[in-house]
Amino acid sequence: MDPGLLGQYLLNGLVLGVIYAMVAVGFTLFFGVLDVIKFSHGDVVMAGAFVGLAAYAGLEHLGLHSPLLALALIVTAATAAMALFGAAAARYLVLPLRGAPPLNTLLATLMLGLALREAVRLFYPNGSNPKPFPRLLPVEAIDIGNFTLRYDSAIIVLGGLAAIFALHIFITRSRLGLAIRAVAQDAETARVMGIDFRAVVLATFALGSALAALAGVANGLYYSEVNFSMGLLLGVIGFSCAVVGGLGSVLGAILGGFLFAALQTAGAVWFAVPAYKDVFAFAAVILVMAWKPTGLISETPAERV
Amino acid sequence: MSKRAARIDIALALAALAGCALFTGLFLRAEAQWEIAVLAVLLAATLYAAGRSGVAARLEATGAAHPRAASLAAGAAMLLLVALLHSSHFALLMMATVALFATACMGLTLQFGYAGITNFAGAAFFGIGGYTTAVLATHTGVPHLLVLLAGGAMAGLIGSLLILPILRTRGHYAALVTIAFAVLFKTFLEVNDALGGPQGLKVPGLELFGWAFNRRIPLGEDREISFFASYAALSIVLALLAYSLVKRVERSWLGLSLDAVRVDETAAACFGIDIARWKILAFTLGNFLVGLAGGIYAMMLGYIAPTSFTFGDSLIMVSIVILGGLGNPLGVIPAALLVVVLPEKLQLIQEYRFLLFAVVVMLILVFRPDGLLPRRMREYFAGWKRA
Amino acid sequence: MSSTLLSAQGLTVRFGGLTALNGLDFHLERGELVGLIGPNGSGKTTFFNALTGLYRPSAGRVQLGADDITGLSPQRVYRAGITRTFQRLRLALSLSVFDNLMIGNHRRLDAGLLGNVLHRARLRADIERNVEQARQLLRRFSAPLAARLFDPVAQLPMIDRRRVEVCRALISDPRILLLDEPSAGMTQEETRALMDDLLATRSEHPELAMVLIEHEMGVIERVSDRCVVLNYGEKIAEGSYRQVADDSRVRSAYLGED
Repeated sequence: MDPGLLGQYLLNGLVLGVIYAMVAVGFTLFFGVLDVIKFSHGDVVMAGAFVGLAAYAGLEHLGLHSPLLALALIVTAATAAMALFGAAAARYLVLPLRGAPPLNTLLATLMLGLALREAVRLFYPNGSNPKPFPRLLPVEAIDIGNFTLRYDSAIIVLGGLAAIFALHIFITRSRLGLAIRAVAQDAETARVMGIDFRAVVLATFALGSALAALAGVANGLYYSEVNFSMGLLLGVIGFSCAVVGGLGSVLGAILGGFLFAALQTAGAVWFAVPAYKDVFAFAAVILVMAWKPTGLISETPAERV
Repeated sequence: MSKRAARIDIALALAALAGCALFTGLFLRAEAQWEIAVLAVLLAATLYAAGRSGVAARLEATGAAHPRAASLAAGAAMLLLVALLHSSHFALLMMATVALFATACMGLTLQFGYAGITNFAGAAFFGIGGYTTAVLATHTGVPHLLVLLAGGAMAGLIGSLLILPILRTRGHYAALVTIAFAVLFKTFLEVNDALGGPQGLKVPGLELFGWAFNRRIPLGEDREISFFASYAALSIVLALLAYSLVKRVERSWLGLSLDAVRVDETAAACFGIDIARWKILAFTLGNFLVGLAGGIYAMMLGYIAPTSFTFGDSLIMVSIVILGGLGNPLGVIPAALLVVVLPEKLQLIQEYRFLLFAVVVMLILVFRPDGLLPRRMREYFAGWKRA
Repeated sequence: MSSTLLSAQGLTVRFGGLTALNGLDFHLERGELVGLIGPNGSGKTTFFNALTGLYRPSAGRVQLGADDITGLSPQRVYRAGITRTFQRLRLALSLSVFDNLMIGNHRRLDAGLLGNVLHRARLRADIERNVEQARQLLRRFSAPLAARLFDPVAQLPMIDRRRVEVCRALISDPRILLLDEPSAGMTQEETRALMDDLLATRSEHPELAMVLIEHEMGVIERVSDRCVVLNYGEKIAEGSYRQVADDSRVRSAYLGED
C-alpha cells in the first residue's frame, strides 16, 4: 500500500483508539472498585458532548468568539457535569443494587443509558437530529509527501493520551488514587483500614464519567457532528475494549482501545464494503474472548475454594 | 388440605383466570388514553397486591397442583378471547405479538433463569428465525411447518458458533460475547444485499396443513375475520407448548442440573455435573424457541428489516425476562403484555414512551428486584410437599 | 498393602513461583480415617483440590485402587468415588435441602432430555425413590432436619447446613469422603454432635475411608486413626495422634504459628 495512505489510516486509527481508550478506562475503573458494568457509560459520552455543545451555544449567545476560551469552557462544563452525573448514578442506582444479582445492575444501567439518550432527544432543542459540533481546533494541516497531518487529529491524540496519563498518575500517586486501588484490591479490608468505601466509589464514578465526557468532546471535535444515539455503539465498543484488554486493568483498557480501532481500520481497508468493518471488529472480539476468556491482561487470581 | 379448601382454591383460580382474560381483552380493546393508563396502573397494583397478600402464591400453587388442567384452561380462555376479538386487527396483532415475545422470553428463561447464561442477542436469534423463514418460504417449496422448525434450528445452530467463547467465559465476559454478536448481526443484515440490506425482505404468509393464514374470511356483509386471528391462535398454542416444555424441564433432573450449574460451577463439577453439556443444552434449546417464535412473527408481519432486530430489541426481551421474575416462565406473560402493548397504546405519551419505560424498569429493579412474579421453589410434581 | 485405597506420590502443586504443595506422599487404607492437620496455608485444602481435579498437579501421581487418577477432571474423580465438602460451604442456598442432596447424587440421575420431559410417570417414581433415600440419610444425622427436606437451605442454621453438605457428599455412596474443616464456624457442642454422626456413619459403612482437615486437636485425637501433618506444603510428620503431638517439628510449627 501507498505509505501516505497507510499513514492516513494509521492516524485515523490512533484518533479512534484514543477515544475508545478513554471510554474503556471508565468501564475498567468501575469494574475495579465495584465489580459492576455500568452500561450507561456510552450515553454519558454522548451527554458530555451535548453539555459541551450547550455551553458553546451559551458562549456564542454572550457574543464571545474566542476558540480557546470556548474549548476550555466546553471541556470544563462537560467534564464537571458528567462527573456529577456519574457520582449521582453511583449513589442512587448502582450502590442500592449492590446486593442484587449482577444482571440487575447491568440492566438498570442499560436503562439509565436509554433514559439519558431519550432525555437528550426529547429535551435538547431539536435533539433528534444530528447537531454540528464547532470546529475549535486548528484546521490547518501539513503535507508530508502525500500524507496529510491534520493538526486537529494530532491534538486529539496528544490531548487524549495526556488525559489518560494524568489519570494514571493520579491513581498511582495521589491519596485518593491509593484508596481507589485499595478498594479495588479488597473492598472489605479497605473498609477495615478506615477507607470511606462510599466516597471512593462516588469519586471513581465521577472520575470515569469525566473522562467519558472528554471522549465525547473529542469525538465531536473530530467528526464535527454529534447525535443523541451515538452513545450506544460507543458504549458497546468501550466495553469491548475494556473486556478484551482485561477488566480491572487500566493498561488493558488502553491496549483494548487501540486494538479495536486497529481492527476497525483494518476491516475498512480489507473489505470492499466499509460497513463490514464493525462486523469484522466484533467477530474478532468474539474470537479473542474464545482464546483469552478473561482478556489479554488478566488479573483474575485462581479461585479460592 | 380439606376438600372444601381445595374447591375454594379452584374457584379462586378460575375467577383469576376469567379476570386475566377479561383484563387482556379490555386492555387490548381500550382506545381512550385514560382507559389504558388506568388499566396499566390497575395491572401493576393488582400484581403487587397479589404478590404481597400471598394470593399469587396460592394461585400458582393451585396451578402447580393441576398443571395440565391449568394450561388447558388458560389456553381455552385466551382462544375464546381471540374468537371474541375476531375482527379487531390491532388487538389480535398485539395478542399474537405478546404470545410470540413470551415464547421467545421463555427460551431466554432457560438461559438466564436456569443455566445462568446471559444472552443479550435475543432479538438477533429472533431475527435469524425470521430471515431463515423468509428465505426458505420465498425460494423453496418446503412445507411451512418444516420452514418454521428450520428457523428455530438455524437459531440454535448459529448460536452454537458462540458456544466456545460462552463456555470459556463467565459473567460480564459472557455478556460481551452476546452483545458483540447482537451488534454484529444487525450490521451484517444492513450491509448484506442478498438479504435485502436495510430495506429487508418480504415474507410469504404462513400455510399450515392446507390452511392459508392470510386468507380473508368474510363474515356476513361488510365484516370479516381478521387474518391475525389465525396467527394469534397459533401463537397462543405455541406459547402454551413452550411454557409446558420449560416447566417440564424445570420440574425434572434437568432443571436441577441447570440450577446447580448456575449457582456454583465449581461445586457442580465436584459432583459430576458436566458444565459444558448443560450450558449447551440450555443455550441451544433456548435459541431454538426464540428462532421459532421469530419465524412466525416474520410471516405474520409479511415483512422484516434489520431495524426490528437491534440490540435495543434484545434489551426489551431481557427486560421482560427480569420484570416477569427471573426463572419464572409464567411471569414472562404479564411482563410481555406490559412491555409490548403499553408503548403501542399510550399515544399520549408516544414521544416519551421509551423514557418512561426506562424509568419504570429502573424503579422495579431497585424496589422489586425479584420481578412481578418471583420464581418459587421447585415442585417436581403435583402434591410435591406431601411426597 | 492390598487394602490401600488411595495413594499419592510426590504430589506437587505450584502457582507461578509459589509452591503450595511440595512432593507429598500420602496413602489411605480402606475404612481408615486420617486426620490432616497443619497451620493455615500449609497446603491442606490445596491437597484436596489437587485430588478432586480442581487444581492440576505440577508433578506427582495419584492412584485410586489400580487406576491412575492424576489430573482427571472433577467430574471423573467424583464418578471414581471421591466426594468432598468445602470449608466455606458451597451449598445452593436458594434451593431446597432435597435439591442440594440430589446434586450430590448426580451420577445416579437420568440426564437425558426425553426421559425427563416425556416419561413423567417413570421420572416421578424415580424422584419418589430419591426422596425416600434422602430422608433416610438425613434422619441418621438429625430427625428434625429430615422433616425440613423441602425447605430452602438458606433457612437452616449453620449446623444443619454442615450436615446437608456432608450428606450431599455421602448420598452417592462414595469410596472416599474428603472433609474440609467441617467444624469451621460451629460451637464445640455442634462440632461434637457432627463428629458423633460421622462416627456413626463409619460404623455403618466400614469400607468408607475419610480424610478430615481439622484445627481442633481434641477432635482429631477423638476420631482419627492416623494423622498427617503439613507445613509449608510439605509433610512434616505422620503417625498416631500421640506420635505427631509429641513430634518436635509439629510443636515448633504450631508454636511458631501462634
